[in-house]
Amino acid sequence: MGFRLALYLIILLIGVIIGSKNIINKKIGNSLDKIQKVCLLFLLFIMGIRIGIDDRVVSNFLKLGFKAILISILGIVLSVFLVKLVKDIVFKKSKEVKNCRES
Amino acid sequence: MSLSIIVSVVLGITMGLLMPEYIFNYTDIIIDFGLCLLLFFVGIDIGRNKGVFNDIKKIGLKVLLIPIMIIIGSISGSVIAGFFVGLPVNESSAVGAGFGWYSLSAMLLSEYSTELSALAFISNVVREILAIIFIPIIAKYIGDVESVAPAGATAMDTSLPIISKATNPEISIIAFITGVVLSSLVPILVPMLINL
Repeated sequence: MGFRLALYLIILLIGVIIGSKNIINKKIGNSLDKIQKVCLLFLLFIMGIRIGIDDRVVSNFLKLGFKAILISILGIVLSVFLVKLVKDIVFKKSKEVKNCRES
Repeated sequence: MSLSIIVSVVLGITMGLLMPEYIFNYTDIIIDFGLCLLLFFVGIDIGRNKGVFNDIKKIGLKVLLIPIMIIIGSISGSVIAGFFVGLPVNESSAVGAGFGWYSLSAMLLSEYSTELSALAFISNVVREILAIIFIPIIAKYIGDVESVAPAGATAMDTSLPIISKATNPEISIIAFITGVVLSSLVPILVPMLINL
């Protein structure tokens, strides 16, 4: 976990530095967008393979599928709802500032 | 975009069902590499929007309200679900505290019971799949910050590129912070809740 976190942070930071240096013009930016999309879909495909290849997923899904779906759906729904509740508190100040800038 | 996401995941799972087990080891390397590449792109997106860091600074510690709400929502959601399917509160809450990190939550519960470990594994796999599918839909129809909620602990890695594509650099940073907080809490909360 510690190593992973450090690795992800470093990679993100390298990206941030390159992005902020204005090396990337609009044209490259657009093609980056396309590369990003292809990479993302490929990653999701491989992640799907990992899930499908694991024998435990298939056997347990048949046995525990209903419970698992109920647990994950309720967890997601309540999380989304609660985040929605605090959204205004979290973003209040920055939105006011933005509005001032606009007006 | 969300349709192509669903197609990719479903196609992958179907392929996986048909493939021999030894390929599993190779997918590890591909995922690590792909993830690093995508995180690099997310970084570039963030870097190109210079105002983002100031916006986050203005939010300050209030940003932690988002992971806190996801923790409360995930655990209480799984407790309510557990009530319907006849799971005791300590078991259902421990499963919910996996926040989508299926490998770790299953491992943490394996000593307690194989059955519960399997449930933690499968329900957190389902959570990750649902997150991948619903992040773009929630971002579009409910709201951008809300789209971080289904991702849970995976908001710092596997779900981050999807959140980044579906929202904006400011939300990407919030998602990363949220993912870090939730991931650090999985190994603390799961053992704590199961021993309630």
